[in-house]
Amino acid sequence: MKFVLMLAGSLLGLAIGYIPRRLHQPRPSWWRIIAILSVAVVVVLAIYPPLAGSTIDAVIQHRADSTKSVPVLIRATQLQASPDEQGTFLLPAEDARVAKRPIMLRAYQPVLDAIAAAGENVPVVVRVRRAESDLVFQADEVVAVDPVVTLPYIMGLEERSRILFFHVPMSWIATIAYLLSMIYGISYLRKRTIESDDISVAMASVGTLYAILATLTGAVWAKFNWGSFWNWDPRQTSIFILLLIYGAYFLLRSSIEDRARRARLSSAYAIVAFATVPFLVFVLPRLLPGLHPGSADDSTAGPLLSLTSDSLNSTKQVIYSIALFAFTLVFFWLANLRIRTERAMRMTRVSEDPS
Amino acid sequence: MPFLTSNAIYVVLITALVIWAGVAIYLQRVDARLRELESRIDR
Repeated sequence: MKFVLMLAGSLLGLAIGYIPRRLHQPRPSWWRIIAILSVAVVVVLAIYPPLAGSTIDAVIQHRADSTKSVPVLIRATQLQASPDEQGTFLLPAEDARVAKRPIMLRAYQPVLDAIAAAGENVPVVVRVRRAESDLVFQADEVVAVDPVVTLPYIMGLEERSRILFFHVPMSWIATIAYLLSMIYGISYLRKRTIESDDISVAMASVGTLYAILATLTGAVWAKFNWGSFWNWDPRQTSIFILLLIYGAYFLLRSSIEDRARRARLSSAYAIVAFATVPFLVFVLPRLLPGLHPGSADDSTAGPLLSLTSDSLNSTKQVIYSIALFAFTLVFFWLANLRIRTERAMRMTRVSEDPS
Repeated sequence: MPFLTSNAIYVVLITALVIWAGVAIYLQRVDARLRELESRIDR
């Protein structure tokens, strides 16, 4: 199901990206509105939903760091409670995440009031810490009342897990862009139509933009997850090599004056360059031990490919698929602008040239 | 405003949406200018 959703988001983006078919033509206005709105939807869905784990997460967190509270989704099953000698109230509740696991909440008056204001059996996200047993939790703060969407709590990752919706589509679409650059390179070498070269260079150029954005977002994330912006993790090293390879592509293009020769050589280079992409993106970072999710010493294959990890629950899968779709459309828009610019530049040069 | 003070995540959300609105409007304008240029070339 996970792969079906992810593939659907990506393929739908590609399908709508190619409408209207000729990439040299301007995208219609309805198409541009869909692109703009879908990115806005992704931004809202990636940032607004509160994190909410289960009380099991709170128990596990307690073993690692007992001072840290965990947001959990619970329902208060009864709101009447009398205070004990420390002035706390014991409130019966159930875990809304784990098959209605019955628990007790220990809360001070303000937190109790906030839960009571939400009402009985209404789901609330409360920051809790495990108290005297695995079924009693100290409630610190009410984070959200009856949230429409929540994201799973991942220990050690927490709010930083939201990077998934931006960083991963960037690198995935960059890979597709390099593939398309190769395909149009082959097409140029076969038919020698200069339009294919326009498309090939546009795909490589916007693909490189996306790869740079993936690198930068990853570096910011790494600072707060691993401790430094850059530490030559296999994933960072491989994308660095990838950027060098495609940097050489643009260097090659800029060094050749003759249009046909430039198109021929850079098409050939685009084909050779793509041969390294699957290895650098999918194979090398998985063969070597590293910090990036899905490395050789990671216990799972990473949140996207793992069949056992539930860190990518259905809510996240849906948002991630919309993100793939949205950023694919933006990619095609940027590529379209680049293709048309290439063509316009060519046409104006032709009209200036008396021969 | 007190709502935004206690729910800082909405400030992030608004910031991100404003940036995207700016980028989207810019893209629209570039697209429109390019169309204008193309119509001159193809004439």
